[in-house]
Amino acid sequence: MNGGFQSPLRTALAVTRMEWRLEWRQGHQLAAVGLFAIASVYVAFQAADGQTASGAWTAMLWLVYLFSGFTAVGRLFDRERSATRRYLQWTVDPLGLILGKLVHAVLTTTALTALVLGAFVLFLGWPDGLDAAGHPGLLVLGAWLGGLSMTTTLVFVTAVASQVKSGGGALGAVLGLPLLLPQLILATRLTRGALDGTPFAMLGETPLFLAALSAGTSVIACILFPYIWRA
Amino acid sequence: MNSWNSLWKWGGVALLAYVILRGFSTPLQPGFVQASPSRLAPGIATIALDAIGQPFATATDAHEAFTLILRSGEGLIQTELTGLTPHRVEAKVAIPATLPSPALDAFLFTPEAGTLFLGNAFFVEDAANGSLPAEVVAAPPAEQEPQLGFSFPFQPNILESVRNLLWHVPMWFAMFFVMGIGFVASLAQLRTGKVNWDHRAEAAVRTGLVFGLLGLATGSLWARWTWGAWWVSDPQLNGALVTVLLYSGYMVLRAAMVEDERAGRIAAVYNVFAFVMLVILLMVLPRYTESLHPGKDGNPGFNSYDLDNSLRAVFYPAVIGWGALCYWMYTLRLRMNRLEHHLLTR
Repeated sequence: MNGGFQSPLRTALAVTRMEWRLEWRQGHQLAAVGLFAIASVYVAFQAADGQTASGAWTAMLWLVYLFSGFTAVGRLFDRERSATRRYLQWTVDPLGLILGKLVHAVLTTTALTALVLGAFVLFLGWPDGLDAAGHPGLLVLGAWLGGLSMTTTLVFVTAVASQVKSGGGALGAVLGLPLLLPQLILATRLTRGALDGTPFAMLGETPLFLAALSAGTSVIACILFPYIWRA
Repeated sequence: MNSWNSLWKWGGVALLAYVILRGFSTPLQPGFVQASPSRLAPGIATIALDAIGQPFATATDAHEAFTLILRSGEGLIQTELTGLTPHRVEAKVAIPATLPSPALDAFLFTPEAGTLFLGNAFFVEDAANGSLPAEVVAAPPAEQEPQLGFSFPFQPNILESVRNLLWHVPMWFAMFFVMGIGFVASLAQLRTGKVNWDHRAEAAVRTGLVFGLLGLATGSLWARWTWGAWWVSDPQLNGALVTVLLYSGYMVLRAAMVEDERAGRIAAVYNVFAFVMLVILLMVLPRYTESLHPGKDGNPGFNSYDLDNSLRAVFYPAVIGWGALCYWMYTLRLRMNRLEHHLLTR
């Protein structure tokens, strides 16, 4: 399977670099994500009108995060021109390619977490009765881990959906949303606990589960991706 | 070979017929469901307890053979039986002014139906905290081995709905079974690229989805009866719902593609992914999080239902019967897929 290609890790690095360059050159992609996130946080801010319980705060945070994630990762396999794509198909090791896309997803998640959480604290402030999060570190970690398990799953789903010509973006959403439910349930529990300052013992192994889910979906994606890449 | 081909089908149907007949006709063991009046005060009181299930007495039984005892904390209070019918016992009791606990549990020792129990049956108002006076203390009689014949165990809250065990649980087993077939078929398809495996995977997922939906429906009914709501937020239920949505995604994915070798490969990749998620969501995650669903510590199945021998005698045939029916449906769908493929590629 690896005949003639350079090592997957080097390919992965090259792909990550290519993705970042693409992000900056096709500025509209980045701008779209930023605009979407900021605009929806602003709508949440207007709708909440200065009153948010931590449950509503968490719900809005993850709704904004979910759809920003879809915007950011949803076109990950569709944006190369078809000629570029064919070139990649014949010159790049699929394992390296998917690894590169996953690393790119990790970076995207980090940027997205900073953007969305920052916008929430800036516009909405903290939930009612709180001056700051109960566990600020855990809030950031929970948002990042939740986002990570979300984007890694989305990378795989969009890889499958991009193979279907007629489906396009809608198919990615249909396949992706149910898959993201368990991650989002874990993530909302974690962020809400972090906001309210719930004792660590009651949050249990939720962060570990999120990390394990991200790792698991990444591994499955790496195993299965070569089968669809040149299908 | 041919006779075996029809034998397992008819065997499965016969087993299911047995399960349905036996499952609905077997009586429940007796158990208390209601006590009246629920609130008592110190002094002489008349109490009654109602039971369901098999009769625990006949109208002609001697009262002396039965003993009704109320338990307050560690103390046992004696009663005097005044009435006995097949599903009801009435008694007079002297409630003392001092009790270890105001909540009273009721025990009825019967000669043939074992011991009937109702926790927190009565609540005594205006009783002082203290030990029981010696004159009301009862000595528990020796417990008799119940002689009830073939009957299902009585479980508080679950009551007659224990029969759903023969539908809900085997349906999920059957779903796991065919989804497993689909998983193996998809793996084989990725290895060999043969379209035959793709037909198998599609038939398996389609059949499994039917059983998944049936499992959700029967589970929802059971939840309404025992937990009071059609749907609750619970790791096991979340996992079940996501699983069904996931496989619906498989059908959507297939519908979005023109049937060819490439479509089969993409569907196979998605199916492998879906099955791994199914195992994580239904068999791994619920074991590590709190769940209302039975068997939360360890097996998220039916451990806590105290599957006794009478239930086992119907439950195991139910598992085999539903499994056989499910497999039969799968083979029918498989033949349809092959015929369709044959007609299209002729």
